[in-house]
Amino acid sequence: MSKSSVYSSPGFDFSNIVRNNFLHEKGLPLPKATSTGTTIVGCLFKDGIVLGADTRATEGPIVADKNCEKIHYITESIRCCGAGTAADTEFTTALISSNMELHALQSGRKPRVVTAMTMLKQMLFRYQGHVGAALVLGGVDSTGPHLFTIHPHGSTDKLPYVTMGSGSLAAMAVFESGWQPNMEREQALNLVKAAIAAGIFNDLGSGSNVDACIITANSTEMLRNVEMPNVRVQKERDYKFRRGTTAWKKEEIRSLVVEETVTPIGRGDEMDTS
Amino acid sequence: MRKQNAYSLTVFSPSGKLVQIEHALAAVAGGTTSLGIKASNGIVIAAEKKTSSILIDDSVIDRVAVICPNIGIVYSGMGPDFRVLVTKARKSAQAYWKIYGTYPPTRVLTQEIATVMQQATQSGGVRPYGVSLLVAGWDSHRGPTLYQVDPSGSFWAWKASAIGKNMVNAKTFLEKRYNDDISLEDAIHTALLTLKEGFEGQMTEKTIEIGVITVPTPEELEAESPDGITGRVKPTFRKLTEEEVRDYLSL
Repeated sequence: MSKSSVYSSPGFDFSNIVRNNFLHEKGLPLPKATSTGTTIVGCLFKDGIVLGADTRATEGPIVADKNCEKIHYITESIRCCGAGTAADTEFTTALISSNMELHALQSGRKPRVVTAMTMLKQMLFRYQGHVGAALVLGGVDSTGPHLFTIHPHGSTDKLPYVTMGSGSLAAMAVFESGWQPNMEREQALNLVKAAIAAGIFNDLGSGSNVDACIITANSTEMLRNVEMPNVRVQKERDYKFRRGTTAWKKEEIRSLVVEETVTPIGRGDEMDTS
Repeated sequence: MRKQNAYSLTVFSPSGKLVQIEHALAAVAGGTTSLGIKASNGIVIAAEKKTSSILIDDSVIDRVAVICPNIGIVYSGMGPDFRVLVTKARKSAQAYWKIYGTYPPTRVLTQEIATVMQQATQSGGVRPYGVSLLVAGWDSHRGPTLYQVDPSGSFWAWKASAIGKNMVNAKTFLEKRYNDDISLEDAIHTALLTLKEGFEGQMTEKTIEIGVITVPTPEELEAESPDGITGRVKPTFRKLTEEEVRDYLSL
């Protein structure tokens, strides 16, 4: 029986290593992976979990994306913030999200946070740290709210408040002085915003806006750009040049379309989906 | 050394028939009835949950299965074969999602399942699947569509169809009662009446299963614009709860 061709062969492809090393020795600069730099946080409050993230993606010293989304969907009530290599966090969370949906359909039960954590850690360990994804996984399931961190090599921690990424120290400082058990929703959200802001302003790898996500037993609220402390100022002057600023010697205008009639033949450009 | 699984068990008879497929269809015709009706604003699929003994715990039986948020399936025939096909269909839907970022349109998924079923008629050492399926789904290209897939792997789109034990009577009944602009509520009502025609025993919320496709309103379609990979589409297919089925039965 033929195997389905939708699955590509698993694992990393190291066949270009020799060539890449050779080129690097000859002076070609190796491409830098886009790293999310990042400040991501999660904290437990009375009714559930609040996750937070900044929105800057960096490529070395350059800001590659000023407003990227770092809070990824795992299931309806489970989300995952990702720090490290952007592509790794994107694909890893998408893969586990797909497998969680399959698992939920097969088991007939609402998915659990520990299931996602176990799937993620087993995959990351298998790749021995080569998949650079540092994740903050949080959600609410039938057993209650849970918050985990997962490191690229596959170790996990279960804690009431966590931070990851290059801005984690700045954010943790805010958490350590501000976190209390059983906080109200507003209190928790403000704490998370303050923690991310600490990362945004004190860490070069983090910046732009604050994203947050509040997960409770009954609802998940995605607050994209809940705070935008880095809006670009409006330019004071208008920098348009008037026509004639640059002098020209000769002008020739050619109209390339003289006349055009469109005659559709059969169904025209429409695809045949019968 | 004998080569394993080299020869297909499904071969042509002199009259040009694949007898194994005929036998598979007989297995389907012996299974409990199921049906599907396409309405102007949705689809209803339903099945009898007949058990061979009153001692069987029927709350565990699953005739109507969810494949992905926009597609559901019901069957007639061999339960275990259905289980295997449902698992393959679910994996296929996820594989499609991983590549294209959306769930497969109904026709695409139906084609994948049909391919699997056809492969069992042309591969070494296997037998055809002993089920016929009714696949109900919604996609933004064609709207709500209902397909029937047979053990041979052939499939057609239907406006209304029935498969299983009572299919002949049920189809005649549906032909009389179907019209192109039937509403979803009417379709559910008609489905229940059709099932009742051939039902042996009491028809209660515990002895039938109903799945429904609802077409999203334009507002709902706007709301889930592909703004990012966060959040997935709101499900258009769902199974009715026992309470909901009871309410429909009491009408």
